Amino acid sequence: MASVSLRNVHKKFGPITVLESIDLDIADGEFVVLVGPSGCGKSTLLRSIAGLEAINGGEIQIGDRPVTHMAPKDRDIAMVFQSYALYPHMDVRRNMAFSLNLRKSPAALIGERVAEASAKLGLNALLDRLPKQLSGGQRQRVAMGRAIVRNPKVFLFDEPLSNLDAKLRATMRTEIKALHQSLKTTAIYVTHDQVEAMTMANRIVVMSDGVIQQVGPPLELYDRPANMFVAGFIGSPTMNFFDAVIVRGAARLADGSLLPLAPAAWKEGREIVIGIRPEHLHFADQGFPATVTVVEPLGMSTQVTLDAVEERVTLLALERPQLSPGDRKYLTAKAADIHVFDRVSGLRLN
Amino acid sequence: MTAITADNLALQRQADRRRFLEPWLYLSPALVIIVTVLVVPLIIGISYSFRKFSAFRSEYVGLGQYRAMMVDPVLHDALINTLWWTVASLALQFFLGLGLALLLNQPFHGRRLVQGLVFLPWAVPIFLTGLTWAWLFNPLIGPLPHVFHAIGLQSEPVTILADPSTAMWGPIIANVWFGIPFFAITLLAARKSIPSELYEAASIDGATAWQQFTKVTLPFLAPTIAITVMLRTVWIATFADLIYVMTAGGPAGSTNTIATYIYVSAFKSLDKGYASAIAVLLLVLLIAYALIVIQIRRALLRDV
Repeated sequence: MASVSLRNVHKKFGPITVLESIDLDIADGEFVVLVGPSGCGKSTLLRSIAGLEAINGGEIQIGDRPVTHMAPKDRDIAMVFQSYALYPHMDVRRNMAFSLNLRKSPAALIGERVAEASAKLGLNALLDRLPKQLSGGQRQRVAMGRAIVRNPKVFLFDEPLSNLDAKLRATMRTEIKALHQSLKTTAIYVTHDQVEAMTMANRIVVMSDGVIQQVGPPLELYDRPANMFVAGFIGSPTMNFFDAVIVRGAARLADGSLLPLAPAAWKEGREIVIGIRPEHLHFADQGFPATVTVVEPLGMSTQVTLDAVEERVTLLALERPQLSPGDRKYLTAKAADIHVFDRVSGLRLN
Repeated sequence: MTAITADNLALQRQADRRRFLEPWLYLSPALVIIVTVLVVPLIIGISYSFRKFSAFRSEYVGLGQYRAMMVDPVLHDALINTLWWTVASLALQFFLGLGLALLLNQPFHGRRLVQGLVFLPWAVPIFLTGLTWAWLFNPLIGPLPHVFHAIGLQSEPVTILADPSTAMWGPIIANVWFGIPFFAITLLAARKSIPSELYEAASIDGATAWQQFTKVTLPFLAPTIAITVMLRTVWIATFADLIYVMTAGGPAGSTNTIATYIYVSAFKSLDKGYASAIAVLLLVLLIAYALIVIQIRRALLRDV
């Protein structure tokens, strides 16, 4: 087990900068999820930590050892790939034992470690099978087993659940989290799926365009996104955004309706964007007018799509509102639930 | 009552017969083609080996040709030459081809051009390949004897094709030059199909470059290697053109292989019967070889 720290990490592919001065400290035993849209640099960052990509500047430290210039095998890490990368000509047992065999560990120790890992992952019945005889979920498990037997300082996961169907993905998500809770090994997990990020992480690192946008515990990112990118990326259905102007401490929308803002030193006339999560919008006697376009009952909640202020607005209601398309309604939100961003920089203002 | 049962039985039998014949009906076009172009010539060829041909007639001699084969000293030498010619050509083609495939898999400037050029020996007609190499070995017009002399391989610059102890190397070298692209291209294609994640996983697991080659690359290439080596062996063993153009089996029969001997028997001695008997021998040897390779391949696949 070890901490991981990145100092001013740069990476370029030819003229394109993919990682720009990345600073990140990951504590011993933490489960950190790197999340962002495709092409944001999250996989490159993970591969740089693994040593599969050479970085163009900065330093990487695992535990108290600088590993920036070390080969992957000397970094004491294990990686689970999206494609699982199991050796197709070796059975499950030999796949899991491969790294220990290369390190010339004693046979008794190898047997013990493989048995331990396979018991933990429910692979006992499959040890003599070849990867091609396994289902996607089972291959995923073997890939994790191969990582576990080494007992590495850090686990690296590169979108390990992307090739699984939705139901299996949810199960494996829970399993990986449980596994981490029992092993307590530092883990860095890359995904583009913000639900995976929210459910699994101790801390989430949101990346975009090779830059870290925000680092924090899932609910902190959800409740107080640092900028419009994070606000829009985290949360499903996504946050509603409206252009607005500060008028006497309130937000005036394009159609002239006013929404209350939490008291602060608002500069009169400042151009802002306000963000409201779908579950924080509710129907009221006053607020801004909207027309219902689609009603989607989900059972536990009801998702309502409306047209308002030249925007498409999503509202998530826990009760079951009696609505039909075409209904005119007023929408509002509590001052405390309204996120305020600068219209130019996109940074959070409240 | 009994009549109805008999009728039913007859109907039943008719239906059974139709069910049995129907698939063969659909297969018949393919079967007819296979039988006419493959099986019939093969059987005719084998039947020739039981006859003796002379200028205008042929007679049935039973196993006479095979008995003659048993005591033919030329055939005995040709068998040994064939083994030598096949093993040396194959081994050099394979290892150089594998090396070239791995080199071509590395990124470098102009790789696409080089990959295209590697194909070139195949575009050259065999006849021209043989003539070109024969000239290259000729001290009057070719540079090679002078190179061999300069580096001390030969005491004086003469053609290796004229010396019975070295003549076989001439066609072997030409054959290697001609055959490397086959291995390079097929093995490169197989190498490219190996996912790069496997090498990344192996490098994280602690495998050195050599271990990555033996534990990841080789097991992946094994099926391709088995099939290409088998095909190539058969092709080389039956490959007469190059030798015939360069040395015509000489000097003193030192480059005479079974394939060239078949040609000589059929078209110079005009004994098609004897040529067919030798061809049958070669066929049997190659089938035995193919069966062994297939067995080895199965064993290897089970092991790794």
